[in-house]
Amino acid sequence: MKVKIKQWNGVASWLWVANDENCGICRMPFNGCCPDCKVPGDDCPLVWGQCSHCFHMHCILKWLNSQQVQQQCPMCRQEWKFKE
Amino acid sequence: MEEMMEDSESVEMSGPEPVQGVAAAWDSVSAALVSPGFSVSDQNLVDGLALLCRRGLAPLLGVWLLETLQMRLSSSVVPEFWCGLKQPENELEERGRAWVLLTAFRTLLDRLEPFLSGLEKLGAWQQEGRCGLSGPGPKGLKEQAFTTIRALLLFSPSPVLQERVLEFYSRTFSVYMKQEGNAEDGAEAPDGSEGGACPGCGVPLHQCWCLEALEQLQQLSHILSKLQLLDWVSSEAVTSILHKLIEQRMEQHCRGEYERSFLLNFQEWLELVLGWLGKVFACEGSGDGPAPASLASPVMKQWRCHMHQFFCRIYVNMRIEELFSIIRDFPESKAAIEDLKFCLERTNQRQQLLTSLKSAFESRLLHPGVHTSDILTVYISAIKALRELDPSMVILQVACQPIRKYLRTREDTVRQIVAGLTGDAEGCTDLASELSRGDPVTLEMQDSDDEGTDPEDWTPDPTDAVPDKLGSKRRSSDIISLLVSIYGSKDIFIDEYRGVLADRLLQQLNYNTAREIRNVELLKLRFGESHMHYCEVMLKDMADSRRINGNIREEESRLSEDEQPPLPLSAIILSSEFWPTLKEEKLELPPVVCRAMEAYTHRYEKLKAMRTLSWKPHLGSVILDVELEDRILTNLTVSPIQAAIILHFQDKSSWTLEELSGKLGAPKELVHRKLALWQQQGVLREEAGGRYYVVEMGSSMEKLERGGMLIDSDEERDSNTTTQSEQREEKLQLFWAYIQAMLTNLDSMTLDRIHSMLRIFVATGPVVTEMDISELEAFLQKKVREQQLLMSAGVYRLPKPT
Repeated sequence: MKVKIKQWNGVASWLWVANDENCGICRMPFNGCCPDCKVPGDDCPLVWGQCSHCFHMHCILKWLNSQQVQQQCPMCRQEWKFKE
Repeated sequence: MEEMMEDSESVEMSGPEPVQGVAAAWDSVSAALVSPGFSVSDQNLVDGLALLCRRGLAPLLGVWLLETLQMRLSSSVVPEFWCGLKQPENELEERGRAWVLLTAFRTLLDRLEPFLSGLEKLGAWQQEGRCGLSGPGPKGLKEQAFTTIRALLLFSPSPVLQERVLEFYSRTFSVYMKQEGNAEDGAEAPDGSEGGACPGCGVPLHQCWCLEALEQLQQLSHILSKLQLLDWVSSEAVTSILHKLIEQRMEQHCRGEYERSFLLNFQEWLELVLGWLGKVFACEGSGDGPAPASLASPVMKQWRCHMHQFFCRIYVNMRIEELFSIIRDFPESKAAIEDLKFCLERTNQRQQLLTSLKSAFESRLLHPGVHTSDILTVYISAIKALRELDPSMVILQVACQPIRKYLRTREDTVRQIVAGLTGDAEGCTDLASELSRGDPVTLEMQDSDDEGTDPEDWTPDPTDAVPDKLGSKRRSSDIISLLVSIYGSKDIFIDEYRGVLADRLLQQLNYNTAREIRNVELLKLRFGESHMHYCEVMLKDMADSRRINGNIREEESRLSEDEQPPLPLSAIILSSEFWPTLKEEKLELPPVVCRAMEAYTHRYEKLKAMRTLSWKPHLGSVILDVELEDRILTNLTVSPIQAAIILHFQDKSSWTLEELSGKLGAPKELVHRKLALWQQQGVLREEAGGRYYVVEMGSSMEKLERGGMLIDSDEERDSNTTTQSEQREEKLQLFWAYIQAMLTNLDSMTLDRIHSMLRIFVATGPVVTEMDISELEAFLQKKVREQQLLMSAGVYRLPKPT
């Protein structure tokens, strides 16, 4: 007997490769989106800091904008630098 | 009597005149009064009368006359009348009986005539005041006489009279209707004239006595009206005849016939009947001949009212009986509903209608034998029909209460409604078209626009309205709102719709979402944008998946021959947070598929930085060909687990259930069920010892023609999403931890207490607010049955650790 697969329609869900499940700022799941967004994924990406913490991009930008003096990671208080 | 005594005393005291003369005068006057034929010269009479007056005997004349009438009545006239009526014991035919009836009355009249004319005369004298006579006049005297007649004659009426009268009236009625009917439309009873029997009097044509019957009717009416017995003798018979006839006609014409309006038809017919009534209640008339009562006379007006009332009531009664069928047939039965509405406004039968309809629903619809979709279909037509019948929606609201209550207990209600909304349900297209009709928000805005309506036009709710916070304004007639409000919350529907949408999308093979997009847009109009947000993301996932697939395919096509993936794989990539919880099933796919998936994931990761894929191996679909030695099965569409099974058989031609189950990492029962498809296809067979073999040489060829889409015959097309009740169960399970903790601290608690505590503690989730106390109770009862909880005297406690 020979079986010939003509087409395999699989189902998968995408997820961020991150070390946590929820965004430390908005507490929403990374795989969802930040409170301001409607659509997850490309439209509401994650960003990583050099301290290895990651957040929804919109969340961390909002946070950084609100910091007058020094821009720190809200989790570890190190200076925030985007990971290249 | 006393008066009489006094009178006679005075007579004797003042009696110098010869008694003889007085007696003679009395004789002559009384004889003149009683028998018109008795010849007394006028002068003689006048003298006698004057003498009587002088002696003060004149007032006695009236009394004497009435007394005599009474005596005569009770001694001979009444017995004679009843005798005459009964005499031919059942020997005569109808015609004869009619004649007997008439004769009896005729004799009665003959016997009474002298007295009546005597009274008339005396009355006339009294009126003229002749010789100082005074009294109530002819009218008053006659009135007294008629009362006496009625009292004595009908004191103990024999049923024979009613029977005869009824029979006679029925006959004359049919005769009359035949004649009038022929005049109006000859087509009504053409068979009668040909069939040998006269349609009017029901006897062979040569013996037809139609005309005679009409003649008799006229005479009878005349006699009865002369004796002022018409009301007493005829009313009852006429009423019952009318009742019977309307009922009959309605049975014949209207029962089961909902598509035509009968109001006009009946209106015409009733006018015809009124003509006959005019003959029956012929008033004494101006002339000496009895003239048919004119339609404007008070009697006729009253009868017309009666008849309309009869008609309405009988019609409403019949339609109430049939209302369930009428509703089922709506909108074809619109005419019947309109007729009913007209009649119902004239009779006071709303309550009867409600009770009857409710019980019809309960006995015919709301039992386990009826499919949920059928209940919904009837409910939808009921909404449509009843809002036609009663624009205040009160009937709708009250009568459909049992349906709503019952639907709440059915598990698949929501699913059916959603299926209806999306046009999936077979035979139930109402909802889909209702959905596309327009949005309720704007529709209701028009309704509740207070400034537009004139306060003068305000009508109060009917008395049977259910008093509730929402006024009549808010009593919705919008089908979808009504259905959605069965559960009281939109969220359940949206969740269910998400489930349905997920199923549909996952079953798709070609990312085609045009129809779903349309549905979601329509639902957005109805439920609001925010509620449908998740569904939109789901649809966007489909579009994204399609694009990503395209990208990956393109990349693959640039690869060299041996780098090609082992099988053509495409994927639907979900945003897990936005899809309903998908069923988790374990399944180890064959290595070749896993490799393909890894390759796909790899490419995806390249495409989307920092993201990866988590495959749901049991979901999706596979199109494959199976080549056997003597036959090829092409384009089978199967589920991944079925594909995995057959792929394993490719490597090794016989497996036991245990081996397969181990290899696939799936439970045995599931594998067993999935094997059935291949057995059915004749690809595998089971042999003793539970081993499955490939059937290389097909013996039964007829199965091979079947191709294309295959659906497991032994199971319902199972949904990929967890069902509503499973999800609820999970959520309640979450509370179990809270409940246990509460009971550990507080020892024992009542149901109410637990419920309110849960509200406080678990206030963050949307779940508690939706959970009602009965659901919690059911859950706790389950725990009691599982012996994880004790309940006594209304309080719950944890079992003591042993």
